[in-house]
Amino acid sequence: MNPSLKLLLSLLIAVEISFTRSWTVNLILVIASIIWLLINRVAYRKIGLLFIVPLLPALAIGISMALWTDEGLDFILVLITRIYAYVFVGSIVTLTTSLPQLVASLEQNAKLPSKFAYGFLGAFNLIPKITAEVSIIRAAGKMRNQPMHFWSPTLYFKAILASLNWSENLAEAMTSHGFVEDQPRTHYQVIKIPVKDFYLFGSLLLILQILLFMIHLP
Amino acid sequence: MANVSVNHLTFSYSTAQEKLPPVLNDVTLTFSDRHFSLLIGPSGTGKSTLLKLLARLYPSFRGTLQSGTIAYDDQSLTDMPADTVSKRVALLFQDPDQQFTMDTVTNELIFVLENLQVDPAKMDAIIANALAFVGITQLRDRTLATLSGGEKQKVALATIVAMDSDVILLDEPFASIDTSSRQHLIERLVALRDEAGKTIILADHDLSDYQNVVNDVFELNPKTKQISRLSESEASKQFSRFASAKTSFNVPLPKTTTPSILNLQKVQLTTGDRTLMTVDKLNIPAGKITLLTGENGAGKSTLFKALTRLKTYQGQIIYETHDIQKLKARRYALQVGLMFQEAQAQFLGITVAEELAISKKASHHPEFYSDQKIAEMLAAINLSNRGDQVVYTLSEGQKKKLQLLGMLITAPPVLLLDEPLKGLDLDSVATVAQFLREASRQLDETLIVISHQLTGLTQVADYHLQLANQTLTYQEGLS
Repeated sequence: MNPSLKLLLSLLIAVEISFTRSWTVNLILVIASIIWLLINRVAYRKIGLLFIVPLLPALAIGISMALWTDEGLDFILVLITRIYAYVFVGSIVTLTTSLPQLVASLEQNAKLPSKFAYGFLGAFNLIPKITAEVSIIRAAGKMRNQPMHFWSPTLYFKAILASLNWSENLAEAMTSHGFVEDQPRTHYQVIKIPVKDFYLFGSLLLILQILLFMIHLP
Repeated sequence: MANVSVNHLTFSYSTAQEKLPPVLNDVTLTFSDRHFSLLIGPSGTGKSTLLKLLARLYPSFRGTLQSGTIAYDDQSLTDMPADTVSKRVALLFQDPDQQFTMDTVTNELIFVLENLQVDPAKMDAIIANALAFVGITQLRDRTLATLSGGEKQKVALATIVAMDSDVILLDEPFASIDTSSRQHLIERLVALRDEAGKTIILADHDLSDYQNVVNDVFELNPKTKQISRLSESEASKQFSRFASAKTSFNVPLPKTTTPSILNLQKVQLTTGDRTLMTVDKLNIPAGKITLLTGENGAGKSTLFKALTRLKTYQGQIIYETHDIQKLKARRYALQVGLMFQEAQAQFLGITVAEELAISKKASHHPEFYSDQKIAEMLAAINLSNRGDQVVYTLSEGQKKKLQLLGMLITAPPVLLLDEPLKGLDLDSVATVAQFLREASRQLDETLIVISHQLTGLTQVADYHLQLANQTLTYQEGLS
């Protein structure tokens, strides 16, 4: 599915399940997401991780609701499954689309201004540099007997300073490579939204509405 | 096709809050169409500034244009529509790490061509041509973060070739590039001038290899802040002054009895899936200056990272009598120091004075680096009276000098220096070489120096270690 459409779909689903109370629908969403992930050949390890990551918040909310509120089991189940539904539906966007694909699609299909799209992408490409920078900053400190712990202000000051510096350099580099704000660009890879994607988008939303509002599942 | 003319240009880094003296004062000159012009002058005097002005990055990103105009032929740069600037002029930056937006070589080239609204159907051919022109077709699908500094500069040049701008500006593009790549790239620039009719303006302080290829030489006078075109005889005087600074390089091989401080045993270094070097057995002589040379991307900086435990390796590295992995990280860091290639990474203080104070406090030889001695050293490298200046606002050359001074004052038993001369002018190079000699002869420090620029260093080096064919061997001279 087109990345922008996929993002929109998952956001709409997230909003809907925030205001509805059906743990079965939440569960159906989780199962459907897993099937989607499997079809797209996402590694089992990553899918497994999705079960573990929300475990703590889900348990915490479940236990605290059970101990300190008068809500019944149904509502507690809704809250727990809702957390899982958010994570799994969200993972459809994050695990089956690369960031450059998503950014390119948002720029071309969702008409996101290109300065946001490329600024974001450029910043994202800086992440490995920031990690490397932090280890260099700490090494530089040790070499002059100024060891830094993760709470040392100098570490953050230098990391922020480096980022600020890079952001200015990035802007200069983009400009010198011909990037001009709000100016039309051509696209090497034209991303279209195939008609079947719209049908899929529409039918999935429709099925959700039926499940939520017509069948009245628990 | 473009004559680049600069008329009565005065520029300063003044901001609304702070008024600063001009960096360029009433500069008037013309870079001729289809000429290869070389811009020379001491580091930190405004060469980069002029290039950024010509590329219209300044004053939009920084500084204030107090007066004057820049014109490409008859078209004023200020009035040029934004989308045509890149068709006129492109700039290759000094720092290889600050040129790119995207993750891979191909994606960066695509990004640039999209910006210039090139027809997507033509992009593959343009990219293939540009990479082939620079001779880096094999880098096509590489991730930029995994390239060496020299390889990045080649990619940056390929990007400019793909942009096909009339005027190509290069800001000390070869500062971290080895001699053979440098000659190759200069030859490519000449081809761009002769075959494609490009106008090339290049700023550099290392004048080797330019004498027979450039049409004009311009010199920036740091006192008047003005730039003048040198006559033929003045130019050749500059070239010969630079050439004479190079002496033949002859050093002995270390003897087996030479005391050593670092030993490598069966060390293997890899990056990604590529083996950089395999070293069966190697001793680093104690208390001497060893020059480490090798091609771009061969793994010189990576070796330094392994020696300082910033990178993992296979085998054993022994400091004095201990495996460095078994020493306490904090204690070992005080024994073997590394001067990073990027100056800014080293700074811990905010102002020049703070930076020096930190070094002084950590110094292994506070008696030698007394306040008076430090003041003398600062004066020798033109950094006096800058105590209150924020280190990050220094020019690249000044940062490098301050960084070096900081590490020299710290004076660890072993100091690894990664491109300590990068961006320094000839006078500073001689002074810095002198500082290194002092540290080694008087304080018995062991220094290992990576440098592409050998001028000045050949006189002080005791040994020459070469990284070639994926291993390290001592050489008697420079082949």
